[in-house]
Amino acid sequence: MTVVSITTIHSSRPRSELKRMPRLLALVLVLQAWLFGVAQAAPTELELVVTQPYLEMHTGPGRGYPVFYVVGRGEAVVVLYSRTDWYRVRAPRGEEGWVRRDELMQTETVSGAPAPIPPYPDFASHRWELGAGYGVYNRENLVTAYADFGLTGSLDIEVALQQAFGTIDNRLIGTIGIRNTVLPESKWFSPTIGIGTGYQRLTSIAPPAPLEASNQLAYASLGARGFITRRFMWRFDWRTYVVFNDLNKTEELEEWKFGLAVFF
Amino acid sequence: MEIRLGSVLLAALLLSGCGWFHRGDKGPAPVPVDEPPPDPTIIDPQVTRRKVDTPHIKSKDFEVGVYFGALSIEDFGTNPIYGASLAYHVSEDFFLQGNLARSKGGQSSLEEVFPDVSVVSSSGRRFTYYDLDVGYNVLPGEVFFGRGRAYNSALYVTVGIGDVKFADQDTFALNFGVGGRLLITDWLAAHLDVRDHVFESDLFGVTKNAHNIEATLGLSVFY
Repeated sequence: MTVVSITTIHSSRPRSELKRMPRLLALVLVLQAWLFGVAQAAPTELELVVTQPYLEMHTGPGRGYPVFYVVGRGEAVVVLYSRTDWYRVRAPRGEEGWVRRDELMQTETVSGAPAPIPPYPDFASHRWELGAGYGVYNRENLVTAYADFGLTGSLDIEVALQQAFGTIDNRLIGTIGIRNTVLPESKWFSPTIGIGTGYQRLTSIAPPAPLEASNQLAYASLGARGFITRRFMWRFDWRTYVVFNDLNKTEELEEWKFGLAVFF
Repeated sequence: MEIRLGSVLLAALLLSGCGWFHRGDKGPAPVPVDEPPPDPTIIDPQVTRRKVDTPHIKSKDFEVGVYFGALSIEDFGTNPIYGASLAYHVSEDFFLQGNLARSKGGQSSLEEVFPDVSVVSSSGRRFTYYDLDVGYNVLPGEVFFGRGRAYNSALYVTVGIGDVKFADQDTFALNFGVGGRLLITDWLAAHLDVRDHVFESDLFGVTKNAHNIEATLGLSVFY
């Protein structure tokens, strides 16, 4: 019996190692493939040739930072990364500094093509929007944060998470809805109209306690949106809510809010 | 001679008239040219254009950070606070920021004088806030250390709204802040912030605006 047990112990060891081997092998292979992929996917550095008489390099990414180096016509700079409207570049002799977007756009690639500086996202056809703002919900202060995804140029899905601060209860409201932009091509002002549904959760802070802790909601909204600058925009929204409950009396609420957003 | 001059003038007038009627047209009038038939010996090369992948320029507009400091909770003493922040730099002037932080209130003076009195439960002393702010870089500039070192810096102001949870109660809060950012490298920044969180409080029976001022030191990374 002991012999058998010893053999089982001895045989079990290599077997477990053998079991582990393919996993290790797989891990190594995956890692190698990943590293290979990374090495393959790693883009070569972007080199841009100065075509204007000179290219000014600032010490910081801002209009006030002094120019400390100038790259001459015909010389190439390597673009490292960007921050807002400024690009960090490396000059041929190794100096690194910040170049304004407008100036870098006047350079060319080594093959003579225009510099591939990405344009600002088009406001009329942007896809993503992230924003936050202040509002009043049922005559209570409201903090709102939302994400918006454009399905078409004028139709988008909006998901909002909001917190309303009342005198007798606080409410956490989550909604999802669809919104139509009436004049999507209008840059500075366009009316919007939407409908949606959601949930609210009530937390009592003063008696009487709410009869229901959570309710489903539906809303219709009217609003407006407009462009501010670059990736920045504003939104105004007025909503009328219907709160579904089991109390034989449908609650109706109003909300307005103003928000600032960034679009991509 | 007179007749010839007259006919030239007439022709010039007619031509200018034609010019008048054609002034809306862009470009010269098409000249009909008989195109030669295509030479069958020339082979049209079906060369597909090679797709050139231009390297993507990485943007580093986000800033994530942590901070630690002291928060003076009105009536409840000054206590340590720690938090995290996320910012998105929209332009060289403006940024949007979100903060999340936590502290714990001490004993109020009423509780210190009357040890049996408890205004807030033990768990309710936890002070948690989140806020969503807009920031503006007022004074961007450089800070010098000695002769050979200069670091980029900025003084900024922030204003925002959010939630303060204290005494087991979520309250709407406004916040106003002033801060300084010192870029140690282009991706690492040190912060010094002073911010006031204002909310309505009625913990002592009278509704008043409670000012909760915090001073924090932080580190952030641009990515």
